[in-house]
Amino acid sequence: MNTQPALDIRIGHYLARLESALHDLPSHQTDDIVREIRAHIVERLETSPDRQATVERVLASFGDPEDLAERYRTEFMLARAAHSYSPWLLLKTTGRWAMTGIRGFAVFMVAMVGYSMAAGFYLTAMLKPFMPTKVGLWVGRGSFDFGVRDSTEGVHELLGAYYTPVTLVLGILAVIGTTLLLRLLIRAGRSKQGKLQAL
Amino acid sequence: MVPLNDSNGDRSDRWEAQLRKGCLEMAILASLWGGRLYGLEMLRTLAERSGMDLAEGTLYPILARLKAEGLLVSEWVEADAGHPRKYYWLTAAGRRRTREMVEAWSNFSSSLSALVQPISGGKK
Repeated sequence: MNTQPALDIRIGHYLARLESALHDLPSHQTDDIVREIRAHIVERLETSPDRQATVERVLASFGDPEDLAERYRTEFMLARAAHSYSPWLLLKTTGRWAMTGIRGFAVFMVAMVGYSMAAGFYLTAMLKPFMPTKVGLWVGRGSFDFGVRDSTEGVHELLGAYYTPVTLVLGILAVIGTTLLLRLLIRAGRSKQGKLQAL
Repeated sequence: MVPLNDSNGDRSDRWEAQLRKGCLEMAILASLWGGRLYGLEMLRTLAERSGMDLAEGTLYPILARLKAEGLLVSEWVEADAGHPRKYYWLTAAGRRRTREMVEAWSNFSSSLSALVQPISGGKK
């Protein structure tokens, strides 16, 4: 038979693990979360005849403290990212979301492809002045690509001196397009984030 | 025969879970329509009035996000029982959002009811 101190230790241990798993959130937020969950458990116990079973059931319903912390973190990031234009925050958020399922993973891939494309445009734009004969928009039979080429046989360059300004604009458009698309996907997806258990 | 039935059962369970999941945010916001509640009360309200048996670990992170989005505000209140409770209530933006969601939900479900009426009506 478990005594009250043993139950307190069990709850305290759970909350301590939660607190340490939330260490990267601002401390007032962490304190608030831990306090709220403690209050919830305490109140559940008050009306319960079998306290030990209740503690186990409630803790199981909260899930592993590390998983619970992860859910909080994802929800906070989704709240921020849906109102953000920062590619870094969007990439970080979708990266985290990708860990939670196929939907998040798909959105993360959109982020990766979009921002990689932008990075590619910028990179070749910067290389153009140093390798004017190798960097360009190459058009040939069955090929059409931006970038660096060692062999320029069978293809010709289309943009010349306009290469750098054109790719810089394309890079900006890729960043803006990806960012807007991600915000849209996050807004559409976040309402489906919650998991309903024990149905 | 038996495995086939089982997999169909799984599939319809999953569909039902998805359906409930999609309505979760609306249900949480709607539970606050009548006034402020704290987490445990919300769980009880949802269970009693909608049959939604929501896990603790699901509710609280969503509340944190809804608050971060400005749809809810919260305040700690010392209860008579001696321990504090964190109450939530809808902001003006939260009420607007709830109304929009409920409208979309009602339109959607009433347009579907016409379609499914012969099926549910013909049920033995």
